[in-house]
Amino acid sequence: MKLTLGTQLKIRTMVHMAGEPIPNFWPMRTFIHHNPLFGLEHLNFADAVAEGQRLFHARGYLPRSDYQVYLAEGRIAPAHLSAQLHRLLADEAPVGDLDLHRLLLDLLTGTSVPLGAQLHMADGADLHAALAGTALPPRTVDATELAAHVTATVMHGQPLYAAVDSLYGSEIGATLDELVIKSCLDFLDEGQSSWQMPGRENGLFAAWSAVARHNLRLFIRGLHIKNILEQDDSPEGVISYVMHELGVPEDEWTAYFTSELTRLHGWSGFIRWRAGAKHYYWGKRYRADLVDFLAIRLVLGLALLREHVQHRRLPASVAALEGFINNHPEQAYLRLELYSGSVLPALAHRVEDAVDSGKPTRLARFLPEYIAQKRSHEAQSLAAGLRELAERAGCAAALARLDVTGLARLCALLTRVERVEGQLWLNAHEASFMQPLLAGIDLSPTLVREKRPFAQFLFCIDVRSERIRRQLERVGDYQTYGIAGFFGVPASFVGLDKGSEIHLAPVVVMPKNLVLELPIARQANDEAFVSVLEKVFHDLKASVLSPFITVEAIGLLFGLDMFGKSLAPLAYNQWRQRLLPLAQSSRLLLDKLSREQADSIIRSLQRVLIVRAIGHEHGVAREDVTDEMVRELRETALGHRQGSTAFARHLQLDADAEARLIERLQRVYRINQGYAQIQLEQLGRIGYTLDEQVGFASMALRSIGMTSGFSRFVVLTGHGSTSENNPYESALDCGACGGNPGLVSARVLAQIVNRTAVRERLRAKGIDIGDDVWFVPAFHNTTTDELSLHDLELLPPAHLVYVERLTNGLAAASRLCAAERLATLEYPSSKSNPSADSDPASAYRLARRNAMDWSQVRPEWGLSGNAAFVIGRRQVTEGLDMRGRVFLNSYDYLCDRKGRLLENILTGPLVVGQWISMEHYFSAVDNEHYGSGSKVYHNVAGRFGVMTGNLSDLRTGLPSQTVLKDGRPYHEPLRLLTVIEAPFEHARRAIYGIVKVRNLVHNGWIRMVVADPVTGLLHLFEDGDWQLYNRGAAGSAVTTKEISA
Amino acid sequence: MLAMLLLAALFLPLYPLSAVHNALFMRLNGLPRVLLLLIWPQIGVSLLYYAPKLIPAFTIPNEMVIWATASAALYALRLLTVRDLGLWAAMLASSALALGWGLAANGSSEQTLHLFVFGFSVPVALLVLLANQLTQRFGAAYAGLNGGLAISHPRLSGMLVLCMLAATATPMFPGFFSMLKLLQILDWGFGLALLAIWLAWSWAGALMLQGFVFGTPSMSKCGDLRTAGSLAYVLVLLGLSIAGLILMGGSL
Repeated sequence: MKLTLGTQLKIRTMVHMAGEPIPNFWPMRTFIHHNPLFGLEHLNFADAVAEGQRLFHARGYLPRSDYQVYLAEGRIAPAHLSAQLHRLLADEAPVGDLDLHRLLLDLLTGTSVPLGAQLHMADGADLHAALAGTALPPRTVDATELAAHVTATVMHGQPLYAAVDSLYGSEIGATLDELVIKSCLDFLDEGQSSWQMPGRENGLFAAWSAVARHNLRLFIRGLHIKNILEQDDSPEGVISYVMHELGVPEDEWTAYFTSELTRLHGWSGFIRWRAGAKHYYWGKRYRADLVDFLAIRLVLGLALLREHVQHRRLPASVAALEGFINNHPEQAYLRLELYSGSVLPALAHRVEDAVDSGKPTRLARFLPEYIAQKRSHEAQSLAAGLRELAERAGCAAALARLDVTGLARLCALLTRVERVEGQLWLNAHEASFMQPLLAGIDLSPTLVREKRPFAQFLFCIDVRSERIRRQLERVGDYQTYGIAGFFGVPASFVGLDKGSEIHLAPVVVMPKNLVLELPIARQANDEAFVSVLEKVFHDLKASVLSPFITVEAIGLLFGLDMFGKSLAPLAYNQWRQRLLPLAQSSRLLLDKLSREQADSIIRSLQRVLIVRAIGHEHGVAREDVTDEMVRELRETALGHRQGSTAFARHLQLDADAEARLIERLQRVYRINQGYAQIQLEQLGRIGYTLDEQVGFASMALRSIGMTSGFSRFVVLTGHGSTSENNPYESALDCGACGGNPGLVSARVLAQIVNRTAVRERLRAKGIDIGDDVWFVPAFHNTTTDELSLHDLELLPPAHLVYVERLTNGLAAASRLCAAERLATLEYPSSKSNPSADSDPASAYRLARRNAMDWSQVRPEWGLSGNAAFVIGRRQVTEGLDMRGRVFLNSYDYLCDRKGRLLENILTGPLVVGQWISMEHYFSAVDNEHYGSGSKVYHNVAGRFGVMTGNLSDLRTGLPSQTVLKDGRPYHEPLRLLTVIEAPFEHARRAIYGIVKVRNLVHNGWIRMVVADPVTGLLHLFEDGDWQLYNRGAAGSAVTTKEISA
Repeated sequence: MLAMLLLAALFLPLYPLSAVHNALFMRLNGLPRVLLLLIWPQIGVSLLYYAPKLIPAFTIPNEMVIWATASAALYALRLLTVRDLGLWAAMLASSALALGWGLAANGSSEQTLHLFVFGFSVPVALLVLLANQLTQRFGAAYAGLNGGLAISHPRLSGMLVLCMLAATATPMFPGFFSMLKLLQILDWGFGLALLAIWLAWSWAGALMLQGFVFGTPSMSKCGDLRTAGSLAYVLVLLGLSIAGLILMGGSL
């Protein structure tokens, strides 16, 4: 069966559409915070959460008990919760003479277990009888009703095998997931395994099907995959065949595909991202997409289903399963009860016996008894819950007076409230968080300084910068600014001794320019002995047989390493660092190369390679050849000259040997015209033109309102982290630098702005940087709080006398910041010695130890706790202690008449901030599904992700150690509160100018406030409209409704 | 002699006579269940050793050992599909106690066989008591319905794990040394069957624990096992371990 091109394209399109709700998953090396419901952002937040629950079986809000703890701790003001209930009940008709507000408030605050007022088998009359203490009225449930109930529960929104699992407990889904994960691990491996899947260059489906056809293990299991694969060679053809075999109607294929893909959304998300990544080496080399992935799932799923059909006579198609449900509704219902876990515990064994017997008479005899008990159980337990609730709320008598209709209405209301209670709690929580923050902001005009500050610091907007900025401002005459950590200069960067590029920009920006790091001086053989040893150890460990010998031979050395790392991590690692070669001084190649320069570089590289080649091929030392000989070889290899070379004559090589050498130079060492052209194109990407440099520098400085009054030192502080044995290390690095440390970006901007030519152009644009101003790159290690200055060798001599004062201040701020931060981490060592928290020096030492400790699962809190994003002058929040919870993006609307700079901030930093916020939100509310569970059980998979245990879905979110503390959320899950300090119209124009941001605001993914410094009024977007926010009142924060935009 | 053998097979239960023991077990609840588990098989042991006094030519034929092994294997396989903990415990008892016939046929003393039966009955009885605890809290002790006990009821799940280890003859508990003793005295064919039965117990035990201990805890508000109760279980298990170590002297 061969599909037409049109059908193939149709299937591809369906799969593409089906994959839309699945969030991309980036490799762990550059952890990108993302919204797990990114694909549902077109929906309202509450609707998206409900859809996420359906697709990913994940919770979208905290359990009631956690919100109740917030209420008890004062993080949720009772008035705000009460206000939410008043709004909910505003249009609700009274139910008898019940005090509904009090009843609902007691429902939410009085018990941690939801009441579950939705009736299934029982009805209002049963409940009425149970409350009255009388016998339940007689009632029969007919077969059609049962069949409809079973069909509605199992036949929609899940693959056929999952429906079969629901009725037969066959666990086909779990087996299928295991087989698919193993296949993905084999194919997608990025160097972790010694043996990978053969034929990977042919693509995922082709490679997998070639292996699967001859897979003896699958054959022994009874999975006759070959029969299915013989139907078509293409993944689309196989998909079509399987879907027809299963009997799924074509208009339901997309939904069916979605339900298949979301079962392993981590793997699907990685494959989806990988297929779309343009510059991903592994993705380009070994191609895979969701069509391949889906085809594999469907083939294995059908094979497993057929195996069960053969052995247990289960239904093999949608029609067969529907037939079973309609023909045997009693059995289907009891099976569903048993295998879905909702069976009455006391009757579970009897139900199992009855369904196992399969005898219709026995089932028909047992079913009425079961249903009667189920009705009774439902009605009695709900009646008990209602009675308890009503007594607590002081309305037991009113409850007793309700008739059957009243009870049914009450149950419907309670069910509705419990369905939306997460959103009610969230709104109340956000209102409670918002109030003190908005009350504390300062909208007064900028104070004019008498003299310039001793130093100015540009920090990343990251929430972790808030603490260090506050401490710096406290210890000295320092002024701080917040800017996205790539400092507005997107760069692709190739570091020393690195063979690949990393992107230093938010993931929404694709850098065009390449920055190279070059060593100042380099010896040919300066690789340290220890580095070589490390490589040898790695190879020994990774191969198939050598680990056995390695353990015997040098296992003791690893033992010493283990003791050192475990018992004295700080001292041991410092000692180990001394064995490693010192970091080399380097410069960044930032300027665009002219054609001549590019040619010269290529020539130089080719000469270096030729010297190496003749050394390797003929053992000739550099001193035995002249530059002229090398030039001649190069010219010959490039085809610019013919005939014998001086080198061949010197070594007395015959014509064949010389030809072989030239051929190897061309083929192996790539000294040829074609490759030279590619190199030339690559070199064209290096650096920035002067115009680009001026543009980026001007944009960066102007966007934060820094156009005059420059200090002697302007310190550009990138940030990163240090931790051991931590696959999530890059999650702690700078998100604005694509999950990489931000130092390089700081060096790039510093090098640009320190150029005289750039400053002259900037002056012409109104940014006057004085001659004594020097931009210094620095690094903020967020795990240790250390602030270190870099490229000091470039500092003008006149500045050197001030360096000690500067470093003193930095060290003091670091220690104070560590003391403040460690109190939130509460390590065992600091618990036994409480002074370690409060004493800055001890705290700093402890933080450094912690960064070196390979057993530390929580080296720092990272961005956990983030809750707000303030775009405005530092003065707006300077008086507030925001406990490292707020992104601070400096912005002065006076420098941005057209609002373009604000639009840039909203498009880049704010969107990335919202991803970070949502990643933390969902990882905190349901760590098992949206987060990645405990780090303790994590294993690195294929060098690109982690799994729980040895086989699981790729864990995509944040680990429990990042967002939870003692089993409860440390990160308070709130939507990002964004405050823009600008005139209302100015801000509103910018928000509405960007569709993405407008949708995020309108759909409730971001809580937006505009703080107007001209009028002093705050405007909050709530309930689909802009409303004036009253800073004073609690519980009724929103007062006056404004005209819609 | 045959009547005597059949009578003994009723109490030291062999399939299908074991159906009587199991039916009684299902009818009883609480302490009577525990007493049934502890006393019933001891009657069988006494009958076996009383028989030669009545019938001087009384011997246990090899066919009885084959029957006993087959019965033990049958119940071991059945364990893999049972999800009710109480019933599971009864099936395990039926499987383990049947193996006592192997000891009896190979000339072990009456005291050894009484200890063998006791060493298996006590952990199973503890499991039955735990099944009662679960039933009181959740309505049934049915694996897979109320998982996540490790999180919601750490003491209860801890005791469940320990009793399960004791009941499935893991090291330090008497069952383990009894199984070693059996392996020593039986020939290789029975030995292999014994190992397969032992493996099936462990597998079934792991499945049972998976259904109770792991997974997402239910929202039920019922409390955990009390500290004093847990201590009592621990003391009994400790006593069993010490007894196991003493038995080891005789076995190895």
